Amino acid sequence: MPTQADFHTAISSRSDRWFAACLKITRNRDMAEDAVQDALLNAWNKRHQFDNSARLDTWIHRIAINAALQLLRKNRPAAFEPLETDIEDEGDTPESLRANQELGKTLSAAMTHLSDFERLCFVLKHLEQWRLKEIAEEVGSDVGAVKQAIFRAVRKLRVRMGALQGELK
Amino acid sequence: MNDDTLILYYYNDGLSDSERKTVEAAIHSDPEVAARYDKLCQQLNEFAEVDVAPVPTHTVERWHDTIDRAARQSSVHESRSPQRSFNPFSFAWGAAIAAVLVIGISLSMTQIDPGIEAAAGTSTAFTRGVQVHFRDTYGQLAALPLDSAADRNELVLQIIEQNRLFERVAEQNDSQDLARVLRAFEPILIRLAAEDIEPDDAEALRAKLTFELNVMLTKLSRDTSNETDSANTGIQT
Repeated sequence: MPTQADFHTAISSRSDRWFAACLKITRNRDMAEDAVQDALLNAWNKRHQFDNSARLDTWIHRIAINAALQLLRKNRPAAFEPLETDIEDEGDTPESLRANQELGKTLSAAMTHLSDFERLCFVLKHLEQWRLKEIAEEVGSDVGAVKQAIFRAVRKLRVRMGALQGELK
Repeated sequence: MNDDTLILYYYNDGLSDSERKTVEAAIHSDPEVAARYDKLCQQLNEFAEVDVAPVPTHTVERWHDTIDRAARQSSVHESRSPQRSFNPFSFAWGAAIAAVLVIGISLSMTQIDPGIEAAAGTSTAFTRGVQVHFRDTYGQLAALPLDSAADRNELVLQIIEQNRLFERVAEQNDSQDLARVLRAFEPILIRLAAEDIEPDDAEALRAKLTFELNVMLTKLSRDTSNETDSANTGIQT
């Protein structure tokens, strides 16, 4: 069972990555901070369930992602609604602009042009390596809709990333 | 063969075995497909970059505090005897009072009639419950034994537990701002509960908390008054 010191070590070494992952999902700094906080408490309370052969920071990472999804579902249920059709950029809101500044350039900047549903599916598939079936269950949709969202996300990102890299040159 | 199929092949997910074999054969036999797949892989690999957002030091400290607090609470729960005698300042007694208060608020919220007055009444009942909690906390902090670390720890843990009950009710009541305020009290309370804190520092933290509690009590009084006025006049303030 992981000790208090193990948790502190994990926080010191990996909490920035948990936060970054949660921020990619929520695009809201407060929600991302809360997700990590909730994840730590959950992980501590369930530490007796931790498989000692696994890595503590990876385990907390997964719990943090679930916590971020839970908070997002609670605060922005529309994020889990797949779109009937592809959408064009809706322009930056003050919130997305702030999130963009927090996230930096390139991939994160390009991701601000995805719909919430596309971003969620892409982050969970590409960055978190979830299975399509797991994503579909998490977002309450079907595998087909998740696949289509990922295809759209990749198409948009390829275009956006190309444009961003062109701007940087 | 379109790029969507190549994307699924890249992820090794969403294609049947036979579909995978078909894609694999196409990549090996068709230079155009192979070139497209190479380019796709290159771009998708670039997407895997991890740009880590900086986290403020105080936020990381809050996360460390969360674990310390949870560990402290675990050890308190483990060491607490179930046959403990009645003590009006005990943690269990304090939590029970808070629980009764929270249940009372919840019941009053469910018994309110629909309509404008109900809307105002629901939030007013909840707000008044929080006001009682803040006033109790204010009183408990005033009586806080600064010279006894163990007693101080015991009492502050009780306050933290009550605070968390109200934080949960605030979330259930969709009062996100109030939940955040209640949550913000926690790190200060945790520092105040630390056994190695100097008396001067404890006094400073107590002063900070009582100041913040006063601010919140004033704000809530104003809000409650405005809501009552709105309900009576039908005018939103």
